[in-house]
Amino acid sequence: MPKHIMRLMVLVAAAAIVGFSAKIYFTDKSYYRYGHYRGDSVAEIAGDTPRFRGSTYCKSCHEKQYAVWADSPHNKPAEGRHVQCEVCHGPVGLHPNREGVPSSFDERLALGAKHVLSSEQNGAPTKLPARKDKTECIQCHEAMPGRPTAQRQVELAAHAGTAPCVSCHDPHAPKISYSGMPDKPKGNAAAGKVLSANCTACHGPGGESTNPVWPNLAGQHATYLINALQAFKSGARPNEMMGGMAAGLNDADMENLAAYFSGRSCKGIGADKAKAALGKKRSASCALCHGPTGVSPNPSWPDLAGQNEAYLGATLKSFKDGGRVHPVMSSVAKTLSDTAIDNLAAFYASANCK
Amino acid sequence: MESDTSEAKKAEPGSALRRNFLRAIGAGVACAGVWMNDPLQAAPPAAEAAPPDIPGYDWRKHKWAFGVDATRCIGCLRCVEACKAENGVTQDAHHFRTWVERYVYLEGDEHARVDSQSDPGNIAASDSQQAFRFDNRYASAPVEKAFFVPKLCNHCTHPACVQVCPTGATYQTPDGVVLIDHSYCIGCQYCVQACPYGAREFNHAMGVTDKCTWCYHRITKGLQPACVEVCPVEARVFGDRNDPDSPISRFIRNNRVSVLKPQTGNAPNVFYAGIDKEVS
Repeated sequence: MPKHIMRLMVLVAAAAIVGFSAKIYFTDKSYYRYGHYRGDSVAEIAGDTPRFRGSTYCKSCHEKQYAVWADSPHNKPAEGRHVQCEVCHGPVGLHPNREGVPSSFDERLALGAKHVLSSEQNGAPTKLPARKDKTECIQCHEAMPGRPTAQRQVELAAHAGTAPCVSCHDPHAPKISYSGMPDKPKGNAAAGKVLSANCTACHGPGGESTNPVWPNLAGQHATYLINALQAFKSGARPNEMMGGMAAGLNDADMENLAAYFSGRSCKGIGADKAKAALGKKRSASCALCHGPTGVSPNPSWPDLAGQNEAYLGATLKSFKDGGRVHPVMSSVAKTLSDTAIDNLAAFYASANCK
Repeated sequence: MESDTSEAKKAEPGSALRRNFLRAIGAGVACAGVWMNDPLQAAPPAAEAAPPDIPGYDWRKHKWAFGVDATRCIGCLRCVEACKAENGVTQDAHHFRTWVERYVYLEGDEHARVDSQSDPGNIAASDSQQAFRFDNRYASAPVEKAFFVPKLCNHCTHPACVQVCPTGATYQTPDGVVLIDHSYCIGCQYCVQACPYGAREFNHAMGVTDKCTWCYHRITKGLQPACVEVCPVEARVFGDRNDPDSPISRFIRNNRVSVLKPQTGNAPNVFYAGIDKEVS
């Protein structure tokens, strides 16, 4: 056989041997174990660590929040509703270090609620962009075509305007609950009565205002009265007259005054019946916080029933034009026409206050 | 080749050279044949080899399937966010292992208007490429019918993507999951083209194709996939079809279910309830 043919054959044989050995050498040992793929990769993929662990995992440290949530409408698996902790808070696997977790809810809210809890993504302490107030709730609850009717949905503009959802709802138990909100005035009513002499010039003896432009105080919630006085004092609720009056009051004075006025019984005044009837029809959205007849179930929110018609009207108009600012009321008032405001004022003025 | 050699015998003198050459070629072909049928390749069927070393899990005992109840979906996109967080999917509005589509028919519309969370309007609504939501563009439109449809890999019984993969990087496990071995993926994206459902995405950072695994690292530990875990309205259902009491077995039994694009012959294992004929 000629030399060059021999050489060619040797070359071919060598190439075959090299190819064959390379194939054996480079093919993973598990490659054909189960089929045309690397068998070991199955266990590798299965070996990843899960990040979502379920609500029971959170329970071990956050027992209080868990208990509130467990009894709430957010935890009704039998009805197909199961909003677990990690749905809003992000996965346990991205839980930041203890040092990195702000303790109070307000702090967390200020930092953008949800994503604070996933601030240590991929080991690096990066904070995901804070989401605007409400985003967390409206992601599921904004009224939107396509959402099943069984899903609780709200028209954002008509519901609470720009107010954050958490100003009324506890996200762990979103249904507004009035239990556990005692309105037992801590102050001394007798001491309050003495102090109240300063108030009578405008708010009348015993808190029954002599001028309909100023509000009745008799029978109002103590908590609301204290909050209002504090807001006047701090300037959060600017008012020339009341700012000056409240400036001279300390916390004990406020509690005493609140105890005195809240202990008085109110008096309904009555108003135009036709207007009141129209106002009643418009009052559905007020009823959520102020109660169906203007008697608020939450001591932080004022009773409207039996309040002076002129004061109610002026207050709503003030919310509407920005003279007075409140996260919920400012936006609600903007949806009301002047006629609607007059009718509502008439309705609440004529409503039975106790 | 062999027949060529016999013909060469009758040829004129001096053809020994050619004859030898052809013999050599024949031998080479035979060699190649042996090489191609090497014993390594005669793999035992998956059932015979010991199952992969996954603690507490035997893939011969399960047959996973997924259910989507479109009548329950509220389009909150928690599933999409959870999938990204669980699986480290690229954090932007263009790479998803699972996604949600919105189908809307306005009055008089013959065909649905479809958008998903990666629609520019919806990206603007979320104001972030890490969080997702649907904008409310149809709030005041005359909507006749609208619904949301969650989508993900169908983990088909006859997966086209596995058939076309040139390296064996993507494969089907006996428990009915289609996985990707990233160390064998060469990033050719042939599987991305082959999938009739658009379920695969390309990870540009790693240069490999990525896909839904039904959270294989979770289901092999007795957990639910992340998207099922976080769905607040139980629109997503997952379970073992070998167990008649599993959520998926009950879902299939109690609903009129369908699969997407049955005509492609892929035989999907994601079962839908409450979708329209235009959903595919």
